[in-house]
Amino acid sequence: MSEIVLDIKGLEVTYRSTHGDVQAVRGVDLAVRRGEILGIAGESGSGKSTLAVALLRLLKPPGHVTGGSAMFHPAGRSPVDLLTVNGEELRVLRWSALSYLPQGSMSSLNPVMRVQDQFKDVILEHAPARKDSLGELIPRLLGQVGLEPRVARMYPHELSGGMKQRVLMAIAVALEPDLVIADEPTTALDVTIQRVILQSLADLRTDFGVTLMVISHDMGVHAQLADRVAVMYEGRLVEVGDVRQVFKDPRDPYTRQLIESIPRMGRRAS
Amino acid sequence: MTAEAPPVVTVDKSQDSAPPSGVRAWLSRHPLAAYAIRRFGLYLVELWGALTIAFFFFRLMPGDPVRTLIQTLQQNYIYNAQASAELIARYRTEFGLDGNLFVQYVKYMEKLVLHGDMGPSLINYPTPAQTVILRSLPWTIGLLGISAVLAWIFGVVIGAIAGWRRGKLGSTITTNLAIALAHVPFFFVALILVYVFAYTLGMLPARSAYDSSIAPGITPEFIGSVLKYGLLPALSIVVIGTFGWILSTRMLMVPILGEDYLVYAEAKGLKGSRILTRYALRNCYLPQITAFGISLGFIFNGNVLVEQLFNYPGLGTTLVTAIQQLDFNTILGVTNIAIFSVLTAVLLLDLLLPLLDPRVKYWK
Repeated sequence: MSEIVLDIKGLEVTYRSTHGDVQAVRGVDLAVRRGEILGIAGESGSGKSTLAVALLRLLKPPGHVTGGSAMFHPAGRSPVDLLTVNGEELRVLRWSALSYLPQGSMSSLNPVMRVQDQFKDVILEHAPARKDSLGELIPRLLGQVGLEPRVARMYPHELSGGMKQRVLMAIAVALEPDLVIADEPTTALDVTIQRVILQSLADLRTDFGVTLMVISHDMGVHAQLADRVAVMYEGRLVEVGDVRQVFKDPRDPYTRQLIESIPRMGRRAS
Repeated sequence: MTAEAPPVVTVDKSQDSAPPSGVRAWLSRHPLAAYAIRRFGLYLVELWGALTIAFFFFRLMPGDPVRTLIQTLQQNYIYNAQASAELIARYRTEFGLDGNLFVQYVKYMEKLVLHGDMGPSLINYPTPAQTVILRSLPWTIGLLGISAVLAWIFGVVIGAIAGWRRGKLGSTITTNLAIALAHVPFFFVALILVYVFAYTLGMLPARSAYDSSIAPGITPEFIGSVLKYGLLPALSIVVIGTFGWILSTRMLMVPILGEDYLVYAEAKGLKGSRILTRYALRNCYLPQITAFGISLGFIFNGNVLVEQLFNYPGLGTTLVTAIQQLDFNTILGVTNIAIFSVLTAVLLLDLLLPLLDPRVKYWK
């Protein structure tokens, strides 16, 4: 549990604009341990999504990484700095070692490709040896997230929001990556589906042993899913700790406010 | 008229309590077939409407074609006597000009639909107009059809790459060139091409469709000659058409590049070429298929001038000659052919689209 997969040191991300620079991530130090689920909490604009996008190397101008390092230790490969790796080296690293789970309500699935083809292209790109087992692999992956095999032949517009989120989850773990970065995986889903999705994510950890970094503004998600939680506020990490400890005894006043923002049954809204 | 009646599909409107009949049940089980039938019905209505408007429109043209014909005959044969009323009446019947407008219309449509007969051509009397048209039709289909398809393919491919590589020097140059040239008329480019390649350099012929010293036939010499003579007129259509398609494809491409599924494809670590073809291009060429059908009519207009300029023996030249001589059956015939081909092309593209784009569902 203590082996470190990703070691972020002093990460800084700046959005440049004509009205001056805006620093969205201000010197974040964070270590992700193999096999854990690490939650990143914080309000809108706290920099948690920018952090995820920067680590995935999907940051687009005017966003720029202006400092820090993020040493990534994929199993069976030499360690690399995610912030400087480029070109073919980065492309090969993607998905087989580092994958991304976007929000299901976004149109992350190609609207004119069948679900099975969106599995196929990424699997064949990084693990061409599995070509012959695709027919068995795709239904199995869909089964892991509670979807029927016939979903493979469907198009994204034929799926509900929850089904899309599950398809994205199944694609994310298709190549058993070292780290999955999930950006708001339950946002825009209704509460009952949220619970099911969270359960599936927890199951994926049990079944595949994936390391998950879950970005969510919803403290309830972290309480249910995460092992450790990191709280961000205005681009800085204000608190990192074991999820029970953070919820029981938050050290930072902002963390306390976030926890108090979780609606509870039987308590009147003030 | 009965042949024109569209097969009205009443499946969806039926509210009656009777159990669905065999046809109805079959249609509900085959939505694509039901859609195709309904779309074909619409096509017949469109075709009928357009042909009717064209007919009445050309009958409103001033001038008496029969008198023109008789004058021409008198000049040609130095026949100086006054044409008898009997002769004029006979010609009127033959050209379908007797009776009131409605009677003429019914007769014309009957002949057109049942026999494919467009009436005699005035210039080439007694040769029927459809024979004159069929003689020039292959040239236009060859020139216009191939050029339009080539322009579309070049334009969509180059436009997609220009959008994909936006901000790069090559893309900027291409885009600005396309903005400057996309709306230049075909004939203007044709004039420049003639000036440069035919007049100044003397490399390519500027008139006719083939070398008249070579006997027409399926021989390498003749085909070579047709290609050589067709190059300049085709080039003028392809060049301008390509720039137009570059511009519109680039415009469709740029917003697609910001779509979530492109970011996702990048995160998947797919190769750039694969993202371009499978993710970006696949989502932006579909609207261009519809646009292609719509553009055919406009291309036909431009083609008339290009053919005239190159003295190309196609429909455009036939049309211009016919207008000059008030050969109304041929004018109407060419118009009908244009209506028919554009509507048919749009029909075929509409039927093709649901097969290409899984999201397109015209049926319920």
